[in-house]
Amino acid sequence: MPLFAAGVSHKNAPLALREQLAADEDKVREILRDLVGGGTLREAVILSTCNRVEVYGVADVPGEARAAAFRHLCRQRGVASAAVEGLLYTYAEEDAIRHAFRVAASLDSMMIGEPQILGQVKDAFALAQGCEAVGPALHTLFTQAFAVAKRVRTETEIARHAVSVSFAAVELAKTIFAKLAGRAVLLLGAGKMSELAAKHLVEQGAFPIYVVNRTWARAQELARALSGTAVPFEELGTALAAVDIVITSTGAAAPIVTRDMVAPVVRGRGTRPLFFIDIAVPRDVEPGVDALPGVYRYDIDDLQQVVDANIRERLREAQRGEALVEREVAKFRARLGDVEVIPTIVSLRERLEEIRAGEVRRTLARLPDASPETRAALEALSAGIVNKILHAPITKLRESSRAGAHRSWLALVHELFGLGRRS
Amino acid sequence: MHPHLQNIAIIAYVCAMGLALAHLVQRQTLVHRLAVLATLVGWIAHTLALVVHAIEIGGPPLGTLPNAVSVVVWVVVLLEMLVERQSGVTVLGAFVMPVVVVLSLKSSVARPVTLAPALGNAWIWIHIALALVGIAAFVLNFAGAIMYLLQERQIRHKRPGRFYHRLPPLQTLDRWTYRTLALGFPFLTTGLILGAVWARTAWGSVFAFDPLAFFSLVAWVIYAGTLAGRAAGGWHGRRAAYFAIVGFAALVLTLGAGLFLPGRHGA
Repeated sequence: MPLFAAGVSHKNAPLALREQLAADEDKVREILRDLVGGGTLREAVILSTCNRVEVYGVADVPGEARAAAFRHLCRQRGVASAAVEGLLYTYAEEDAIRHAFRVAASLDSMMIGEPQILGQVKDAFALAQGCEAVGPALHTLFTQAFAVAKRVRTETEIARHAVSVSFAAVELAKTIFAKLAGRAVLLLGAGKMSELAAKHLVEQGAFPIYVVNRTWARAQELARALSGTAVPFEELGTALAAVDIVITSTGAAAPIVTRDMVAPVVRGRGTRPLFFIDIAVPRDVEPGVDALPGVYRYDIDDLQQVVDANIRERLREAQRGEALVEREVAKFRARLGDVEVIPTIVSLRERLEEIRAGEVRRTLARLPDASPETRAALEALSAGIVNKILHAPITKLRESSRAGAHRSWLALVHELFGLGRRS
Repeated sequence: MHPHLQNIAIIAYVCAMGLALAHLVQRQTLVHRLAVLATLVGWIAHTLALVVHAIEIGGPPLGTLPNAVSVVVWVVVLLEMLVERQSGVTVLGAFVMPVVVVLSLKSSVARPVTLAPALGNAWIWIHIALALVGIAAFVLNFAGAIMYLLQERQIRHKRPGRFYHRLPPLQTLDRWTYRTLALGFPFLTTGLILGAVWARTAWGSVFAFDPLAFFSLVAWVIYAGTLAGRAAGGWHGRRAAYFAIVGFAALVLTLGAGLFLPGRHGA
């Protein structure tokens, strides 16, 4: 099965070029029909996202098929094919399998572990299926790639921890509070990032949401967007007493939430912690606040530090993902090898059985007086010879398929025993 | 038969401890499964050891203090497995198993001297059993306190460390230490009272100096103080966790004293 994968991605091509090449579904359909219908490729899947444009294909002459596919893409998108040709990477056979697994498992992504890519690969596969561009080879490959991606996702932690500041804030809240459902949140200021963090908290069940802003109209607007309550700026102190999580993002030049303001609030809270997420620069919450018992405060730098640590963790986990992919590639290759070798073994057996049965028939025709015992002995003798002769070649074929070098052996066996053309 | 099983149990507990600690740092599911398996193997061997021993001596295996400590360990391991399953806190083993191992080793190296003959009626078994359940609860209390301090420390330091995301939320841990304290305290109290009552009838005085009785009273005072502080004074968090650790240290001294110093409880 001459399998290949070729394309451009964020690793080797500038965004401008990727933008130009990225094709929408209709265009991809058209190209697939042309390529597979025209016989250039036997099977094809085109993956087109903002980070990569790739063709996975099966063709008798992979080099030609690859060039044809990208000429098509370039023509469709009005890109000079020379510019693309020089950048293209190509993987063949085992490397193509590995590449498909790595892409689906998000190991090749710009942000390792990002969850969208698997869905995009699935869509690309479905699209190609819809165009009848998927045959047995790519079907096996992609089904397995989805399974590998799932394993990498569940068995390693590449997608586990937050890599954005707003998600990191939510994750931190989870290490403090037993559950986020029913935690009251106060938004101080109306920055985009704080709104995003608040949305994440609401998704986790945080309720109620209070919004305090110097501009009353903006407070009301944001409160509506988050199904919360706008609170006048003067009542900030009261609001602090009522909430568990405070997200601040005002443009104020000096801290708004001071230690003197929080200290009396803390005394009345009992065992409930109070968590400040300060996304503002300059900071809105006085750093001394978190010296108070049960008060935790993270500013933008602290959150960034958490994000950085999480990214490092993802890279470490990616190593484990790569090892897993490597094992899966080896398994998959062995399976593919078996798939190719087994029909040959079957026809080899059939061929020799045919010869044996014919010879036995002919011999017995010349021995009309042969007793049933003699007939049985002849059958057994001939079957025994055939099995003994077949043993070595079949073993060899199986071994060669596991070693990945079955192709020349298959050709040889077909040639020697006149098994007819391999499909 | 019984010492062999006992040894198998201890070896399995040591393996479980190593694996649980490795899981805390590495967070591999396989390592955790092995830790759970080792714990279970140890506990089963331990159960058999206790049963065999009970048959050998023809009564509950509480006749000597090392035996009694062994029963504490048995209860603690059972609780650890149940709580871990129930709460999904897979790192619990890393904090409980070291205590289990220390107590197991302690009880196995102590000379098995039978309890003083005065201790020989049903009351005394109740005294021992209640104290043991109390101690088991305090082992979990201690584990919760350690986890609380680690978690609080890494949140305050703002540098996600090795254990980041591996420990339960602070609030959960705080509640945990409170609940285990509230559970263990009545058992310990009743156990001590029964012991004191017995001492009066048996020896005519509550405290003719016995090291175990002395240290257990110290532990009781610490736990009583913590409970009062939590219930009335609103203590929680770090302060409560520190007290849990000090209280547990007193309990360990109690058992150590009982095992290694001469006194009424044997040895």
